[in-house]
Amino acid sequence: MKNRLEALRKQRGIRQEELADALSISRQTVSSLENGRYNPSILLAFKLARYFHLPIEEIFSDEEENYGE
Amino acid sequence: MVNKKGISIMLVILGILLLFGGLALFLLTNSSNGILSALPFIMIGVGCGLSGQGIGELIQHQRLAKSPQLAKQQANERGDERNAAITYQAKAKAFDLMVYIFAALLLSFALFGVSAAATLSLAVAYLLVIGSRIWFAVKLNREM
Repeated sequence: MKNRLEALRKQRGIRQEELADALSISRQTVSSLENGRYNPSILLAFKLARYFHLPIEEIFSDEEENYGE
Repeated sequence: MVNKKGISIMLVILGILLLFGGLALFLLTNSSNGILSALPFIMIGVGCGLSGQGIGELIQHQRLAKSPQLAKQQANERGDERNAAITYQAKAKAFDLMVYIFAALLLSFALFGVSAAATLSLAVAYLLVIGSRIWFAVKLNREM
């Protein structure tokens, strides 16, 4: 699964630690999510979507799909 | 309700009591056979363990009380789903490995002629572990 978490986070000028604190997860999890090493649970995906005020499919997509299309 | 700090203090007190009780038992009795010969050392060991754990928890509690940021970070680490997934996967891999180690040990016990009681105990423990794995798989299959 691909995601554009890093781009969204940087767009908003948020540090990994701040995002981790806001979602009650560890900074390592944020880093692993951004690198695509870890796929979040559906609950965490919803939390991220709520945090960025975006639909889940605009943050995450499977390998063949393009974002938000 | 007793809070975490209270439990830690009780652990320290219980540990110290066991430690000194064990020492006193060792010095005052001279029983050289049966369970009494091992009891003081068991008490000292358990006492050291309990008081050590309690002291560790108290130090941690004090540090976390001074630093709310650190406390929040630790709470995040504890509730983190990736950490939970890592723990579960590590346990699963260790279990797979344990099954092979158990089997190899059982075979070597049988081949080297270790006493029947020891071999059978190990065989029962092995079957218990395998049986509980199947039981949990069936239970979780029904629940999920």
